[in-house]
Amino acid sequence: MSRDDNISRRDFFKFLAAGSGLLLVHCGLPSPPPGTRKKDYDWNKHYWAYAIDTTKCIGCCACMRACRAENDVPPGYFRTWVERYRIDAADQVSVDAATKDDFVFEELPGNVVKAFFVPKLCNHCEKPVCNQVCPVGAAYRTRDGVILVDSEHCIGCGYCVQACPYGVRFISPRSHTADKCTFCYHRITRGLPPACVQACPKHARIFGDLEDPTCELSILLKQQRYRVLKPEMGTHPKCFYLGLDREVV
Amino acid sequence: MNRKRRLLAAGLMAGASICAVLLGAIIYGGLSKEQSSVTIALLVLTGGGTVVLATLGLDQLLSIHRIAGGEKLPVADYRHTFRLFALVALVLAAALIARRLAVPESFGRYGYFRAAAVDQARDFEPRHIGEDGCAGCHEHKKEVALHDKDAHASVPCEDCHGPGWKHAADPKKNKLPKPKGKAECLVCHRQLAARPGAFPQIRWREHFRFVGVKDMDVACTRCHSPHEPLYMDRDLRKARLHPLIQRCRDCHIGRINEKLARPENHPAIFECSYCHQDIVRDFADRPHKKIECTTCHIFVKQSEFAGRIIRDADPRFCLLCHGNADFRSDSAPPGIDWPDDHLDDVAEKPEDRKKSCIDCHRDKIHKLREVCKHEP
Amino acid sequence: MNFVFPNEANVTWTVMIVLYPYITGLVAGAFIVSSLYHVFGRSELKPIARFSLASAFVFLLFATLPLLIHLGHPERAFNIMITPHFSSAMAGFGYIYATYMLLVVLEIWFVMRGDFIARAKGKGPVAWLFRLILLFNLEENDATRRADHKISRFLAGLGIPLACLLHGYVGFLFGSLKANPWWSTPLMFVIFIFSAIVSGIAVLIFHYYIVSWINGWKTDHACVRSMTRYLWGFMIVAVALELLEVLSIAYKQTEEWEVLSRLIENKLFFSYVVLQLLIFSLIPFVLLGISVLFRLSRRVANALAWIASAMLLFQVLLMRWNVVIGGQLLSKSMRGFTSYFPGLWDKEGLVMAAIIFTLPFGILWLFNRAIPLFPGAAGDSG
Repeated sequence: MSRDDNISRRDFFKFLAAGSGLLLVHCGLPSPPPGTRKKDYDWNKHYWAYAIDTTKCIGCCACMRACRAENDVPPGYFRTWVERYRIDAADQVSVDAATKDDFVFEELPGNVVKAFFVPKLCNHCEKPVCNQVCPVGAAYRTRDGVILVDSEHCIGCGYCVQACPYGVRFISPRSHTADKCTFCYHRITRGLPPACVQACPKHARIFGDLEDPTCELSILLKQQRYRVLKPEMGTHPKCFYLGLDREVV
Repeated sequence: MNRKRRLLAAGLMAGASICAVLLGAIIYGGLSKEQSSVTIALLVLTGGGTVVLATLGLDQLLSIHRIAGGEKLPVADYRHTFRLFALVALVLAAALIARRLAVPESFGRYGYFRAAAVDQARDFEPRHIGEDGCAGCHEHKKEVALHDKDAHASVPCEDCHGPGWKHAADPKKNKLPKPKGKAECLVCHRQLAARPGAFPQIRWREHFRFVGVKDMDVACTRCHSPHEPLYMDRDLRKARLHPLIQRCRDCHIGRINEKLARPENHPAIFECSYCHQDIVRDFADRPHKKIECTTCHIFVKQSEFAGRIIRDADPRFCLLCHGNADFRSDSAPPGIDWPDDHLDDVAEKPEDRKKSCIDCHRDKIHKLREVCKHEP
Repeated sequence: MNFVFPNEANVTWTVMIVLYPYITGLVAGAFIVSSLYHVFGRSELKPIARFSLASAFVFLLFATLPLLIHLGHPERAFNIMITPHFSSAMAGFGYIYATYMLLVVLEIWFVMRGDFIARAKGKGPVAWLFRLILLFNLEENDATRRADHKISRFLAGLGIPLACLLHGYVGFLFGSLKANPWWSTPLMFVIFIFSAIVSGIAVLIFHYYIVSWINGWKTDHACVRSMTRYLWGFMIVAVALELLEVLSIAYKQTEEWEVLSRLIENKLFFSYVVLQLLIFSLIPFVLLGISVLFRLSRRVANALAWIASAMLLFQVLLMRWNVVIGGQLLSKSMRGFTSYFPGLWDKEGLVMAAIIFTLPFGILWLFNRAIPLFPGAAGDSG
C-alpha cells in the first residue's frame, strides 16, 4: 500500500464528524412535547370548557362572522352557528339559522308567543364519539380537553361526521378532511380567547379554564343551573348551556 | 441422505428458534428505535433464510415414500403447497415490517394520534387582535375613548370593522372598512321576536316616523355616532344603580300596546310613579308627555334586580330628536340648528355655550327634583 | 317545519357508500354458496360452486373501488392499515379485507389448480403466466388432488366466519352509531349479513340463467331448486329482521319515532314502503313460495326463480340505499330532512356507480375465457 492510499488520522476524524453531523441533520434533534416549544404554554395545566347564556344572545351572528374570518371556514360550512326558535300560540316550534350570505336574521311572519336564540358549536365532549370511530387515529383529544383533527393523517372517510350527535363536523371541500371548531386552539394557547367569545357583544359566550377555580366560568358553573345538549348520548359535553329551553335539541 | 436430513432439520430448528427469540425481543424487549431497526433487519434475514431453507428442503424431508409408510392407504401429497405458503409467509412478513416502518414518527406518544399534529394546530396566526390590539395605536383617538363610555362599550371594534391583523401589520396599505349604511346597524338592532326584550331594537320605518325622518335612505349614523350612539354624558359602567325598570317588551313579544290597562293578575312590575309620583304627575302636563321615562333616563339592565341609569343631559342627545336636518319631515319635533344658529341666538355670556339644554328648557321636561343624596 | 343543522345540507356518504356494502354482500353471499358445496357437502350445488367462488373473488376485487373514490384522500388509504384505530369498526376493514382476499385467492388456487395446470402445459405467454401462478410446480396426481381438496375444504370453512365478518362489520358500523336513530340498532349486523346472503344467491341464479341461455345450455334443475329454497329461506329471515327493527320503534314510540315516522311516510315512502317492501320483497316472496311449495314445470320454475332473483337483487340494493342515504336524509336536529340524488357525471355519481357495478361482470367474462367456470356445460352436470 502506498502512502497515498491511506487517509490520515485527521481526515478520518473529519469524515467521522461530518458523517455524524449529516446523521444528526437527517434524523433531527428529538422534538419537544407539544405546547412547550414556546415554553409559555403547558397543556397539562389547563382544561378548557365553554358556557353559553342563551338568555343574553341577541342573534347578531357576530360570532359566526368572526369564526369564519379567523379560521378561513369555507362558505356553506359552519364551525359555529346560531339557531332561532320560534314558538307560536298553537305550540308549534319552528327553527331556523342565518346561514345565507352575511349571516343576518330577518323577521319572519307569524304569531309568535316565545322566541329565543341558541348558539351552537362543537361541544368538545369528554367521551367523544368522533374520536372513537375514527379509523386512522386522526381525531384526537389534547390533554387540555380540546378535540382536534389531524388533517395530515385524516383520510376523509366521513365516519366522524356521521357519528357526531351534534352535527358540528363536516368534510372541508378545501382540505378534503374532517374539519370543525377547534376552540381556536391557536389563540387559546397564546392566552387569547376564541374568536367567537371575543366577538360576542352581549357576553353570551363564556370561555374558561376548569383548572382555575377563580375564573368566570368556574364560578358561573358553581352558581348557576345549566344543562348540556343530548345528555342521553353519554358524550359528556363540555359546553354548558344556561337557560336551555326544552325545545332545543 | 440421513445426514442431509439431519442437517436440514437442525438448520430449520435453529432458524425458527432464532426468529422466535428476535420476535420476542421486538415485542417485549422495550428496544430503542435503532435497536429495534437492527433487530427487525436481523429477523428478516433469519426468517427469510429459514423459509427458503424450508421451501427447498422440506421436499427432501417429507418425501412421498415416508408419507406412504409402506402401506397401500390413500395419501395426500402436500409438497406442491410449500412454495405457495412460503410465498404467503414472506409477503405477510414484509407487509408487517413495512407497516411498522410506515407509522408516523410522533404517533402514539400522547395517545392514539400523531403528537406533531398538536403543534401544527397551534401554528396559525390569530387574525382578530382584540380591543387591546386596536387601542395599542388608536388609544389617543376620540373613537376609542368615547366607545368605552357609551352603549357600544361591549361591542368589540372588530365586530364592525372586521379582523385587524392585516391592518396591524401594515396600517397604511390595509385599511379597515367603516360601515356606513342602515343594514349594518339593523343586523343587531332590527326588532326580532327572538331578541331579548330589554335589548334596544327598532322597526326602522316606525322609528323614522316617530323621530320625523322623511328620507328613507338616510343612514342611522347621520344622527347616531357609531362610537357613542346615545351621547351619554358619563361612563355607563359607573352610572348610578337603580332597581329594575321593566318594560312591556321585557316579557311580551311582537306588537305591544303599552297604553293598555294591565289585567287583574298581571305580575307586579315597578313603575316610575311608585317612587317618583310628583315628577310623573308633573311630566304629564308638559310637552314631552308622550315620551317614555326611559328614553332619556337610559336604563341598562345589569341583573334581575337592578341596572345602571343615566340621565342623559348631553345636548347632542336632545338633538337626536330636535336637530334640524334636510331629511326631517314636517311632523318632526321642533328642531334647531346646532350649535351655531341656536347658541348665537340664545347665549348671553360665553359660559352659556357650555350649558346643557335642560339648563334653559327645564320647563319643557318636568319639575326636576333634587338628586338623591345617597348616590354612589 | 324543516330545519337541518347547517353542516348537514350536503350528504357525506353518497351512492358509493351504498355500493360498497352491496358488493361485499354479493361477495359474502356467493362465498357462502360455494362453501355450502365444499364444506357442507350440498352436492346438488356442484354446477354453481366454481362460478360462485370466482364471483366472490371478482366482486371482492372491486369492493374497495367505491371506497377509494369516496375518500377525501385516497392516497392515504393505507393509513387504515398503518395506524388502525381498533375502537372504530371501520378500522377492521383493512385487515379483514386483506385476510379475506388472501383466503379467496388461496381457495381459488387450490380449487382450480387442475385447470391452471392444463393451461400451463400449453405454449405462449399465457401458459408462462399460469406456470408463474402455479409457482412452477406442475405436479398432479391423486395424492396432490386429495391434498388440494382437504385444504380447500379447510379454507372454505374458515371463510364462512370471515365472510360474515367482512360484511357484518359494515352492519355493525351503522348499527353502533348512536347519533343516528335510523341506523342505531343491534340488529343491523344481522340484517346486513342475511340480506347479503340473499343478494349473493340471487346474483348466482340470475347469472347462471343468463349464461345458460346465451350458450344454449340446460340449467341443472336440482341445483336451481336447492338455491331457490335457500334464497326463499334467507329472504324471509332478512325481510323479517328489517321489518322487526322498524316495527319495534313504531311500537315503543320513543322520542325518535316522531321524526322517523315522518322519514318513512314522506321522504322514504316511495323507495322504502312502495319499492323495497311492497313490490320488491312481497312479490319475490310469493314467486319463490310458489316455486318451492308447488310442483311446477321446469320452464315455469326457472322463470319464477329468475324473476324473483332479479327483483331481490334490486331489493337488496334498495335496502342499502334506504339505510345509507335514508339515515343521512334525517337531520340530527330531529326537526327536518335534507335531500340527495346523485349527480350524473360527478366523481361519485350515477355513471361512476354504473361502471363500478358492471365492471365485475366484464372481468368474470374474462375469467371464464381463461378458466371455464361452468364445467357442466352442454347438457351434462358432471
